[in-house]
Amino acid sequence: MSAIKPVLTKGIGELNLRDLEVYRSEGGYVQFERALKELTPAAVLDMTTRSGLRGRGGAGFPTGKKWSFLPNDGRPRYMVCNCDEAEPGTFKDHMLLEETPHQVLEGILLGAYGIGSHHAFIYIRGEFRRGYEIFRAALDQARAAGYVGSNLFGTGYDLELTIHRGAGAYICGEETALLNSLEGKRGEPRLKPPFPALQGLYQMPTVVNNVETLASLPHILRNGPEWFAQVGPERSPGYKIVSISGHVKRPGNYEVALGTSMRTLIDECAGGMRDGRKFMAVQPGGASSACLFEEHLDLSYDFDTIAKAGSMIGSGAMVVFDDTTDFVKAAHAVVRFFAHESCGQCTPCREGGNWISRTLTRILDGRGVPSDIEVLKSAGHQMTGLNLCALGDSVEPFLASVLHRFEDQFRAYVTAPQAAVA
Amino acid sequence: MSNQAISTLEPVPDFAVLAAGLQDEFRALIAQYEDSRSALLPIIHRFQEAEGYVSPQAMQVSAELLNLPLAVVESTVSFYTLFFRKPVGKYMLQVCRNLSCALNGAEEIMAQFRERLGVGHLETTDDGLFSYEEVECLAACDKAPCMQVNLDFVYHLTPDLVDALLAGIRNGTYTDTPPLPQRAKPERSWHVAQDTGKKAAGALGVSNPNAPGGIGDASGRAALQRIVDDTAVGARTHERLVREGQAGTLHPGKDAHERH
Ligand SMILES: Cc1cc2nc3c(=O)[nH]c(=O)nc-3n(C[C@H](O)[C@H](O)[C@H](O)COP(=O)(O)O)c2cc1C
Ligand code: SF4
Repeated sequence: MSAIKPVLTKGIGELNLRDLEVYRSEGGYVQFERALKELTPAAVLDMTTRSGLRGRGGAGFPTGKKWSFLPNDGRPRYMVCNCDEAEPGTFKDHMLLEETPHQVLEGILLGAYGIGSHHAFIYIRGEFRRGYEIFRAALDQARAAGYVGSNLFGTGYDLELTIHRGAGAYICGEETALLNSLEGKRGEPRLKPPFPALQGLYQMPTVVNNVETLASLPHILRNGPEWFAQVGPERSPGYKIVSISGHVKRPGNYEVALGTSMRTLIDECAGGMRDGRKFMAVQPGGASSACLFEEHLDLSYDFDTIAKAGSMIGSGAMVVFDDTTDFVKAAHAVVRFFAHESCGQCTPCREGGNWISRTLTRILDGRGVPSDIEVLKSAGHQMTGLNLCALGDSVEPFLASVLHRFEDQFRAYVTAPQAAVA
Repeated sequence: MSNQAISTLEPVPDFAVLAAGLQDEFRALIAQYEDSRSALLPIIHRFQEAEGYVSPQAMQVSAELLNLPLAVVESTVSFYTLFFRKPVGKYMLQVCRNLSCALNGAEEIMAQFRERLGVGHLETTDDGLFSYEEVECLAACDKAPCMQVNLDFVYHLTPDLVDALLAGIRNGTYTDTPPLPQRAKPERSWHVAQDTGKKAAGALGVSNPNAPGGIGDASGRAALQRIVDDTAVGARTHERLVREGQAGTLHPGKDAHERH
């Protein structure tokens, strides 16, 4: 199952895909040219819908459906590619941006055409300075070759693309925070509704899509929507890059068909656990996801199955823990992250996250008391569902899952003799 | 607020020359967007590239250029952690403290940096060469532990690599990363107070209290103290610990009663 023919990752590590000519020799930009010359935007939208492609940015929303929400009211529309990748454990967009910038670019152009947009944006995480430089060079090449600009291929279709660099803020990956940041504001999420489809960038209809979502489009057009739809589970079809890290032998990005089992991903793709170590837990979808355990390993890695198991595949980031893990420290790292990245607009997220983080800090310092455990159990729960965006709701899942499973580790900290600290 | 910010300026005599020289670039940046305000982040990025940090004058000029109140520009700039509102060291060392790096030894790496540099999280060395920050996930977890030096990645950190990197920068043989330009003297701590308070908990990952960064260490101690000072919860907990005879982990003479 893991031995698929690479699609999104084809040529990476073998070819210099940063070069336009190399990308073209692999069939690059053929689909964009074909779309402009032979297909209407509606046809591109239809193919995207029929492929069953679901967003790779975290929520798994059907891409064609998202595009179809844009109102037909003659207002300008915007396509925004989300390359803010900062969900701990995720490192696939980073790779796509640096290794196959033209594939990303062609995907953005196709997505923009599919929604009838004449101005697309890519929001690149500030830390990806090198990725930004690589992508900018690719954009220059593409512009010179006539893939970006006005009257493309003589069809009369104009399409501009602007690169926008972030400046260090995980929350800017949330789509409405991203739009605010793109408008030159603080990256604070907006109240929804209205959704970006109706009032997005500059209050105009806007689609925000993840890098990997858009990079899938050239392949869907080349091979047909049915080709994509028949791979993997019916409601979670297609190819997906899974970022695997933590205590595995070969951490890395692995492209698989959705529906591959987590055991295959860990044992075959990532080489299994390190010698002499035992698997303890896996975070299947980045820091926002609840841990799954040994009994879940044969589950199919797809949106619906992992959701049914009480977690999520999110952006496709598996963090694997072995039997040397201190789950109190792990929980602290995760909670501290969300506390640090809270934009501060919602009280439960701003205060709750910091408070839980400080409690964990105190426990780790040997100053915890047994009742802290009860506080941890209830506090996360009380801040979920009360916030403007999903960040506030992301504090609980990992903490609750490891607290439930490894409560003894937490207890050991709060009952250890204080002399240890003298 | 804005007047106050302006009055604390370090004199940078050639700022006007710098700003004038960037006008064409700024016009091109603004032209990329339907609304000029969108050019704020790119313009600030450009100023920081030129000055090594975002100076008050840079914010002033940006505000005038985009027709925004200075307070709006300051508030926006302050939102983003990669914009430094005080001068920082020539080499900004940003070490990942998040999960995948922590599982692969980041705690030891961070402790080593603090020990070798003699500074803590969000601080700058006295010679102005290094600023040090412990940051969140850098999206390179397969190459953990990792860091950035002036935004260039360094992967697979080991104690030997850390020493080699610092030595290389000090003796000028490390050339992968150009130094940040410096038009003003670096501040020892570059974040404004309200930010450090919130971020200070970052220094506390090490369980041995006497290890660098532990609660016995200067930076860790400052952070801890702030946490206890800041919150009624902390004070109450401390009182309870005193009652239960478990207060030994706090520093002598700094218990909750004395602070009132
Ligand atoms: C706190 C937070 C951070 C997010 N970060 C990212 C990100 O870095 N990249 C991304 O593509 N989506 C991110 N998302 C999801 C976006 O809001 C949005 O759903 C996504 O970009 C849509 O793209 P897709 O439909 O192609 O998945 C984040 C969401 C939240 C709540
Ligand atoms: S949930 Fe947190 S990050 Fe999201 S808008 Fe509210 S305060 Fe900001």
